[in-house]
Amino acid sequence: MTAHLSDDALVSLALGEGTAAERSHALSCEACARRVEEARGTLERVLQAEVPEPSPVYWEALRRGVSRRIAEDGHVARRSVIFVPLAAAAALLALLFAGQALPRKGPGEPGLAAWSALPVVEEDEGLHVLEGLALASGELAEWNGADGLGAYLANLTDEESQALAETLRQRGHGGGS
Amino acid sequence: MTSAVIAFPCGLATSAVPGSGAELEREAERDAIAACRRGEREAFDVLVARYQRPIYRLCYRYVNSHEDANDLAQEVFLKAWRAIGRFRGDSAFSTWLFRIAVNACLNFRALRRPETRELPETLLDPRPGALAEVERQDDASRLRAAVSRLPERQRATLILKVFHDLTHDEVAGILGSTVGTVKANLFHALANLRREMTRAKETRS
Repeated sequence: MTAHLSDDALVSLALGEGTAAERSHALSCEACARRVEEARGTLERVLQAEVPEPSPVYWEALRRGVSRRIAEDGHVARRSVIFVPLAAAAALLALLFAGQALPRKGPGEPGLAAWSALPVVEEDEGLHVLEGLALASGELAEWNGADGLGAYLANLTDEESQALAETLRQRGHGGGS
Repeated sequence: MTSAVIAFPCGLATSAVPGSGAELEREAERDAIAACRRGEREAFDVLVARYQRPIYRLCYRYVNSHEDANDLAQEVFLKAWRAIGRFRGDSAFSTWLFRIAVNACLNFRALRRPETRELPETLLDPRPGALAEVERQDDASRLRAAVSRLPERQRATLILKVFHDLTHDEVAGILGSTVGTVKANLFHALANLRREMTRAKETRS
């Protein structure tokens, strides 16, 4: 190996991983050996910055806090098994339907990206459409755009889901502003 | 008899010998998830008890404050309870939960107030060695603050990979990226931290 090690390889070696060829290169190349040592030294220092351990009674307090918030939320997980997929499917169908009333893209422009359950928000153009609709309706929960579409839909209450479906229906019939 | 080694996110690695403690724990976790999906609220306590520490620590790394980490950890478990009906077991429960936590932390960061410098956690103590201890704590505090100032993806990668000892694949799964991106983000995170620590050292001397 004649070229210097890549960033990936430097990290692997600093973590005690890396291939035999990478290790061999680091042994013979002063510049790469120095960079690996720098990365390893930083790692060691970072690992010394432990999170302060909370009081032993804290964990019980955290569990009680979670229980209280769940009780206040009044959200029954079982309902989600049936309701959320239906709501998501309904919203998706309505969104596709509403798309008829939205401005058309030019022939050379790409269509909507496939929807993903992963939080790669910037890749999902459908989110921008939904965001516009959500902002247009005062009845919907505030959405900051950082959560994935699935998470946003999952957290809507029954009333909010109905409001979203209604907004989408109105858009689909050209009734929205 | 050979036994497969299962790498648990949260830095746990254990052998999956049937009937072993680890296998029983995983079975208890599977039962608890199934019960939660049936709406049995008490079963969720089992999952909270199992994951509260790694989730709290993950949140703390992000926000560098106990109060905020506590709020965030509760938020993470609330979101998990709301969504558990849709957990299909395609990934490990811990990976799924960590993904919720990372999203909650990123959300929190997007809305958070401007950074403020933490006060030292210990006042000057006249006992021998106390000054060195204060300096050590101050260094740790500076490092935690530097970690919490890293760009989002770099911070998430560093926290999951280094502090929670997850594999590159697990981190990539949680962040929805590739192993190559994970390694690149980790490299840049370490370079940024090194720069930050050098700058802090120069300022002090």
